[in-house]
Order: sequence, then structure tokens, then C-alpha cells
Amino acid sequence: MGPVIEARGLTHEYPDGTTALRDVTVTIEAGERVAVIGANGSGKSTLQLVLGGLVEPTAGTVEYFGETADAEAVRDRLGVLLQDPDDYLFNTTVREDIEYGPAQLGMSRQAATQRVAHLAAELGLESLLDRPPFRLSGGEKQRAAVASVLAFEPEVLLLDEPFGAVDAGYRERILKLVTGHEGTAVLFTPSVDAVPEIADRVLVVGKEGSIAADGPVRDVLTDTSLLRDNGLRPPTTVQLFEGILDVDDVPLTVSDARAHLLDQTQ
Amino acid sequence: MTGVVGRSVESITGALRSVFTAEQVASSDGFLQRRDPRVSLCSVAGLALAVMITRTVAVTLCFGVVTVLLARLSAVPLRQLLARSAVVPLVSAGIVVPQAVLLPGDALVRAFGFAVTDAGVAYVVLFTLRVGVGVALLSLTVMTTPFSSVVAAMRELRVPVALVWVVAVTYRYLFLFFDELQRLVLARNSRTTGRSTLRDGWRDAKRLVGTFLLRTLDRGERVGRGMRARGGSRPPSPYSRSRAVDKGDYALVALAVVAVAGSGVIRWGL
Repeated sequence: MGPVIEARGLTHEYPDGTTALRDVTVTIEAGERVAVIGANGSGKSTLQLVLGGLVEPTAGTVEYFGETADAEAVRDRLGVLLQDPDDYLFNTTVREDIEYGPAQLGMSRQAATQRVAHLAAELGLESLLDRPPFRLSGGEKQRAAVASVLAFEPEVLLLDEPFGAVDAGYRERILKLVTGHEGTAVLFTPSVDAVPEIADRVLVVGKEGSIAADGPVRDVLTDTSLLRDNGLRPPTTVQLFEGILDVDDVPLTVSDARAHLLDQTQ
Repeated sequence: MTGVVGRSVESITGALRSVFTAEQVASSDGFLQRRDPRVSLCSVAGLALAVMITRTVAVTLCFGVVTVLLARLSAVPLRQLLARSAVVPLVSAGIVVPQAVLLPGDALVRAFGFAVTDAGVAYVVLFTLRVGVGVALLSLTVMTTPFSSVVAAMRELRVPVALVWVVAVTYRYLFLFFDELQRLVLARNSRTTGRSTLRDGWRDAKRLVGTFLLRTLDRGERVGRGMRARGGSRPPSPYSRSRAVDKGDYALVALAVVAVAGSGVIRWGL
């Protein structure tokens, strides 16, 4: 098992002169769960597009699966979910949108139909399958977009804010699907509270578009000054127990915090 | 939406959506909905060709009757079909109407030094009828066949990939184009107070145009990425909707063949 994505010296500058990425070098190993966090406008989405082979970097290289630098050659192994579902859903019906990836990438119709049925059931889309995507609410579009990227069972998921507009119930369901994914998952999110549930490694994209930190979840999320310096708020539980508990004991999730408090009161 | 811009955008967007997403009609049970998409596409194209070949009002009207019958058999509301097919022939009539006075013939009416001729009127009527029936036939196909089936049928019929690309991408972008415009107008209206006059509306329209074009380009680029992310750099390959051809399919093909042959014989003789 080697790296699935190996990026070296990535720099990206938009035509208006904005530098979104600055000398980013990152390696994603097979089977890893990585969260990429950063403040608004830090360059997370640009990094996702560059890693997904959808935007050519101004400088630097990306190699996929240790085989090729051509993302199109491994498109069926990469699942890139864009931030705005309206950019992602463009077919006549939700069903066709979920089928689009599998059909383009050569999955059999039978397999695709089964995937559509499974994902529709998981994400509460059954009654929406024959509706046009543009008539859905924001949360429904988000769920349809998540189903669309999971439909062709890519080895590597690169998801930009997959929980953006969904309610708490569906957030849990998406979380379950992503954590249940057998391959590699990289999530780009400004929400640090979700990170401990989805990742075992965190990358912090700093304000300058460079990688400000890269390490295990606990190390990064309990470094409150690092997070604040990069425009991020530490997780709620870390804020709650900051200065009260030792860094190694600070609960990172609400359920851990609850367990800790119950333990203390008994 | 308020103001002339808002109302115009709302009307255009609504009309576009209704033209391209007749999902309820397409999913209902009717004669054309039960046809194999390849048969449906070829047969309606054949009927449209027959309409284009013909040069007589009576034959064109016969095709009009056939269109109405097909619509009735396919549970397509005639009012809906008419609404979707009326704009193009009306615009065409506007373009060719000068021919009523330009073509030589017996004068029917004289006014302001011009003579409306019988040959001119016949030409305008025939042209408008042919365009109207042709557009109605194409609308009928769009209304009774899901778009992805049309694309799949084109691929199976070995239509050049470039043409399938153009059709598929145009369809996808049209929605986004007008959705973008609608969002822009909604954003404008959310910060507009008081009643706007026609003049205000057109002044705003000028401001919106530049922003709209930039946003559309940006959106187009992002949707392009969305398509590529799911293998969209390859030719459009939706799942085939075709199935075993049945008696109804043969009947529709026969109708189209007879229509083309009949139209040709009437126009050019044996």
C-alpha cells in the first residue's frame, strides 16, 4: 500500500493574481482518513481541485497511485465532490445524476441500479429520484451530490464540505457512508468539530495558502494557538476543557466529553 | 419577482424549464412514451422531414392532424403542446410576412401603395404551417422522451460524437444559464425598495448584463469541472433505454416512411 496521491511543490495563482496555494507538498497514503481544514478563502477548495486533477497548478506536480500524473487516466478511481451541489448536479433527474458517473465510467447498468437504490435509501432520496435536481432544497441537493460521488465507488474520495447544507440527521448518515468507505477519504471542511469523527490525520491550510500543520487529529486539534492563528476556532469540547484538563486527556467529541463528565460525577 | 427584468427572467426561465423538463408527461403511459427511444427519434425526425418536403397546405394540415393524434395517444395536453410550439412559428411568420407583398401574384388587398398578393399570402401561410407542425413534432418528442434517453438513442444510432456532445452540453448549460440569471435578479430584488419603473428596470438590466456574463462563464467552468470529476471528459454515455422493438414501434416507423414517401411523391411525382 503506497501513496494514492503525492503532490509536490504545488502553487496555484488565479488569473487575477490571487495566490491560492503556495508550495504545498502533501502525500495521502492508501486507506487514510484525512481532514483538510482552513479558514474561508485559505485555499482548501483550490487544493481539492488541484489534487482531484480538475485544475492545473501553476507550479508543482501531482502523482496518482504511484503510476501517473494524468488524473483523467485514473478518473474512475477518484471521487471528487465539488463544494456547490449546483455545479455537480446537471442532469434531468436525480436518478440520472447519480447514474451519470457509473455510466461514464463503464459500470454495468445492473450494478449502477443497485448502487442508486442503496444510496437513495441511505440518504433518503427515494422519493426524489425522478425529480429534476434544480427543484430540490439545498440539503436535498447536497445529499444527491454525495450520492452521485459515492455511486461509482471510487478508491479515493476528495469531498469538499459534504455536510454543507444538510440537517443533523442526514449529516450522521453521510458521515456513516464516508467512514464506511473502504478506500481513502480526504475531507475539506472549515468545521473542526466534525474532524475527530471522520479523520485520523489533519492538514491545516494556513492563511497564505501553505500547509501550516500536518499531524494526528489530537495533536493538531488541541493546539489552540495554531488553530486560532490560522483563523480557525478549536473544537467546542477543546474550548470547554482548555486549561482544565491535560492536553492528552481533552475529549475531542461531545460523546467523549459526556463520558468524561459522567465519569467525574460518579 | 418585481420589475420588468424580474418578470421577463421569470417568464423565460419558467418557459425554458417547462420546454425541457416535461418529466411528468414523459413518465406517463402513452403511445410515444412506450416506444423505443431510437424508434421515436428516427420516426419523428422522418415525420419532420416529410413536413419540410411538402409544399401544399392540405398535406401540411394532414401532418398537423397526425401530430395532434400522436399527442392525444401519448396523453400530451394539446394546450401544453400548442404553448410550447407556438413561439417559433409566430416568430417565423413575423420574418416571412413581407413576402405577402413582395411575391408577385393577384392582388387581394391594396393599401399604402402595396398589394398583398394571393401567392404571397399562400407562401406565408404554408411556411408558418410547416414550421409550426415541424416544431410541434419535435416538441412532442422532447415531451414524451426523457432527455437522457434521447442522448442514449443518438449514441446507439451512431450519431457523430461531436453532435451528441453539442446537444448534451447545450441542454445542461441552458438550465444553469437561466438559473444564474434568476439568482442574480433575486439578489437584486432582495435589496430593491419601492416600485421600479420600466426605465429603472432597463437601467438595472444594463448593469446586470456584465455581471451575468461573468458569473455564467464562472459557473460554466465549475460545471465543466463537475462533469469531468465524474468522467465527463469522455463522450456522453448514459445507460441505454432501448428495448425489444414491438408492433407499435413498427407502426410508427411505417407511418414515418409512408409520410416521407408520400410527401416526396406529392411534391416531385413518381
